[in-house]
Amino acid sequence: MDDINKLKAENEELKKINESKSDLISITAHKLRTYLTALKWTLRMFLNKDLGDVSNEQKKYLDVLIENNEKSISLVNNILDSNNTNDNSTLLNIKSVNIIELLEKIISIFSGEIKNKKLNLVLNKNDDAPQVKCDEEMITAVFENLIENAIKYSHNNGSIILSIKRDTEEKRVLISIEDNGIGIKEEDTPKIFGKYFRAPNAIEKESNGSGLGLFATKSFVEKNKGSIWFESTKNGTTFFVRLPID
Amino acid sequence: MKKVLIIEDDEFLQGLEAAKIKKSGYDVIAAQNGEDGMRRISDPKIDLVLLDLLLPNFDGFQILKKIRETEATKNIPVIVFSNLSEKKDLDRATELGATRFMIKSNFSLEELIEYIDKTLKK
Repeated sequence: MDDINKLKAENEELKKINESKSDLISITAHKLRTYLTALKWTLRMFLNKDLGDVSNEQKKYLDVLIENNEKSISLVNNILDSNNTNDNSTLLNIKSVNIIELLEKIISIFSGEIKNKKLNLVLNKNDDAPQVKCDEEMITAVFENLIENAIKYSHNNGSIILSIKRDTEEKRVLISIEDNGIGIKEEDTPKIFGKYFRAPNAIEKESNGSGLGLFATKSFVEKNKGSIWFESTKNGTTFFVRLPID
Repeated sequence: MKKVLIIEDDEFLQGLEAAKIKKSGYDVIAAQNGEDGMRRISDPKIDLVLLDLLLPNFDGFQILKKIRETEATKNIPVIVFSNLSEKKDLDRATELGATRFMIKSNFSLEELIEYIDKTLKK
């Protein structure tokens, strides 16, 4: 009986520690967001020439700063999202989104990296572009993360194929992102969507990474009533995302 | 000219918001804490309130509640513009009658103006 009471007390104590950790993350993220908002708006003012003329060279630096600022905001959002995953707390703004346009926009963001690694990226689309019912911001983050990973873990001169298949009967669309990069080892497959997990071969290829990307990606897809899975061999990986269509 | 009341305690952000909203053709008045915000919502000429949540003195929720409880202000659109995003905050703001909840860091000022324009049918 004493042991049970002791366990109960320890459990309560752990719950309290977990809650204060979670509060600390929320407070820190809120402050970080405020600093990043100030930076975001000011950089945009420079870019929009609200504060005077901007040379082409200055614009190049500004573009990099803006991109890094957006990545930082997205990282804070991912951290908050993983902190709040249990209470499904993120606000959804569901609307009809043209998935081809969304993917093309993301591809253009990564055009520099694609060129640097001499990758052959193909978007297989048909004219019958399905409108996806989703939170655009969240689903953009999903595909940004998956495409960024495909680029990061591809070898130079590799190829990435994005395909979109419509399943009218099921009222769903299946988007696949196939690369012929380093692949996911079988022993790592159960952990790949886990919080803070990074596969050893991924760390070897790219040392930077929070281990939150795929965790948040899965959570975002599921919040949008979708599903995500992957198939991998030593010759590459294909991620599949299934989402509801309008 | 339509009038926007900004209640925001971060001086820098408030300055950027005010400049952009003014440049987009609105009259702007601003409050930097909850007490001042409470006082200024009684201005009969306000067409829209941009409301932060974490404020000194009275917080944004108390101000929103007061706006909705007061006959003269109960129909004014209130955009909650905060960097809080937890479900409990969203739920509370929605229950209290926020017209929209926007997370500051996820929007550009141009997008904010677009939403203000739409709300006020400029």
